[in-house]
Amino acid sequence: MSTYIDVARETATTSKAARPAGLGEIMPALIFVGIFFIVPVVALLLRSVLEPVVGFGNYAELLGSATYLKIFANTFIVSGLVTAISLLIGFPVAWTLAIMPTRLASVIFAVLLLSMWTNLLARTYAWMVLLQRTGLINKMLIGMGLIDRPLPLVNNLTGVTIGMTYIMLPFIILPLYGVIKKIDPAILQAAALCGANRWQCLTRVLLPLAARGMVAGALMVFVMSLGYYVTPSLLGGTANMMLAELIAQFVQSLVNWGMGGAAALVLLVVTLSLYAVQLRLFGVQNTGGR
Amino acid sequence: MKRTIALAAFAAIMAVSGTAKAETMVFTSWGGTTQDAQKVAWANPFADKTGTVVAQDGPTDYGKLKAMVEAGQVSWDVVDVEGDYAAQAGKDGLLEKLDFSVIDKSKLDPRFVTDYSVGSFYYSFVIGCNADAVSACPKTWADLFDTAKFPGKRTFYKWSAPGVIEAALLADGVPADKLYPLDLDRAFKKLDTIKSDIIWWSSGAQSQQLLASAEAPFGSLWNGRMTALAASGIKTETSWEQNITAADSLVIPKGAPNLETAMKFIALATSAQPQADLAKATGYAPINIDSAKLMDPATAKTLPDQQTASQVNASMKYWAENRDEIGKRWYAWQAK
Repeated sequence: MSTYIDVARETATTSKAARPAGLGEIMPALIFVGIFFIVPVVALLLRSVLEPVVGFGNYAELLGSATYLKIFANTFIVSGLVTAISLLIGFPVAWTLAIMPTRLASVIFAVLLLSMWTNLLARTYAWMVLLQRTGLINKMLIGMGLIDRPLPLVNNLTGVTIGMTYIMLPFIILPLYGVIKKIDPAILQAAALCGANRWQCLTRVLLPLAARGMVAGALMVFVMSLGYYVTPSLLGGTANMMLAELIAQFVQSLVNWGMGGAAALVLLVVTLSLYAVQLRLFGVQNTGGR
Repeated sequence: MKRTIALAAFAAIMAVSGTAKAETMVFTSWGGTTQDAQKVAWANPFADKTGTVVAQDGPTDYGKLKAMVEAGQVSWDVVDVEGDYAAQAGKDGLLEKLDFSVIDKSKLDPRFVTDYSVGSFYYSFVIGCNADAVSACPKTWADLFDTAKFPGKRTFYKWSAPGVIEAALLADGVPADKLYPLDLDRAFKKLDTIKSDIIWWSSGAQSQQLLASAEAPFGSLWNGRMTALAASGIKTETSWEQNITAADSLVIPKGAPNLETAMKFIALATSAQPQADLAKATGYAPINIDSAKLMDPATAKTLPDQQTASQVNASMKYWAENRDEIGKRWYAWQAK
């Protein structure tokens, strides 16, 4: 653990040499962010403490109810699962892409990006058709005699995890690829020459060097998953609802904006805290998810 | 020849200036086949009659409606909403009072008329079944709640609205005339017994997909969706036993930009012929009592207004008063 943090710290320190641009030059951007991001967030914050009555009643209700706490827990469990699985699948893919001939790699990249650019709803519905009890996967497994009864793959946690992992994979592969590509293969050769076996090469050399990319990608996937709406609402059941669905319910169906605002702010605070943790550990340079 | 060209040019100029002068208004509904039908049955004749172009928007979004009214920036003139929401929104001051000197309510089904809304169409929750997929179809709500007699997944409407709670109580043996006030504890207890066998549908199209693919071979569906499924060639069975009616309503958001035109549009939309046309296209019932006469009897027979023998009316009044409370409990129960 400490090895890669040291490596990262070093990089972070050296990068501090680059000073930020003058304030005047970024003024338009600041104004834009102020009007279209800060003001609405403040308005939301106000609603959450003003509606329907002044006070912190909405927060008390949100954090005091077992149902809502379960939804928070669900949100974290799903996001954690999706992040972990994306890392497990994404790392070997990024590694393979980094060491394969550039032309072949660019073809695979094209496939990856194409899937990213395909309409989210279409992709999610496609999973629904594949995963449902009468869907392709279950029919195939039954046809092959592997199972007698269809597996419950959709309208539950399994469905959400599969669908979201699929959508998040590019977001972890791309930053990982960027980091791994920069690792000099000679370092691995050197390690091997010094007597490291393959496992040691991976755990003592490659993983520490790729750690920045892994953390950046993992954090991005985790944070994106926390606020995801479409995929969980289509592939999940009501019993494992996530926070974004709860917010949509408050805003659209119950038209209770106080509660909706409170839930949205809790989500925002969690997201910002995670971001702060990453900033502290890895510095501003490496959080962009390259 | 020259004269023809001149005439054509004249006509073109008239047409252009006609369009430039033409009023526009915005009608918002739920999208899909229902809104397509509303456009054909209501908006097109309205445009022909008044020259007003009716722009279509959607889907209906209660959050958006509230935001527009609060901000004083309303872009919708007439909105198709659920009946229980209409009653509540009227009370909450989000809607314009309707002008019944323009809209003739003497011919409208009084169940669906309030100061702020008139019916748009009415529908029933029926027990739908894919007869190809199962050996026997459930006939009553009690059947649909009986997982021993009818094993498998069943589908119900996901959102908090009249229909499912009533069905649960009827299945539990509550007499139809003793439904209200709803015994929520009892309803949720009954729903608990089948909770793990429910797949929720959140849109009409999804309910059809679930039934057609036999993902959930039976469930509680809007009758119009069953009509459409049957027409698509799937062997279906629909049980009207204790069909539960609810209505959509037409409302005008407070501060709508074309108030007078909006009243006229509602007046036309709820008149006999447009209501009959919509019913023909959707399988939902007209809310104008003169419409049935204008339809061919074979079609009229398939509509909810002909299924009154064992019909149960969901109480919009009760729902309007308790919508928030029920909604909170409903979603909390679902998430449990």
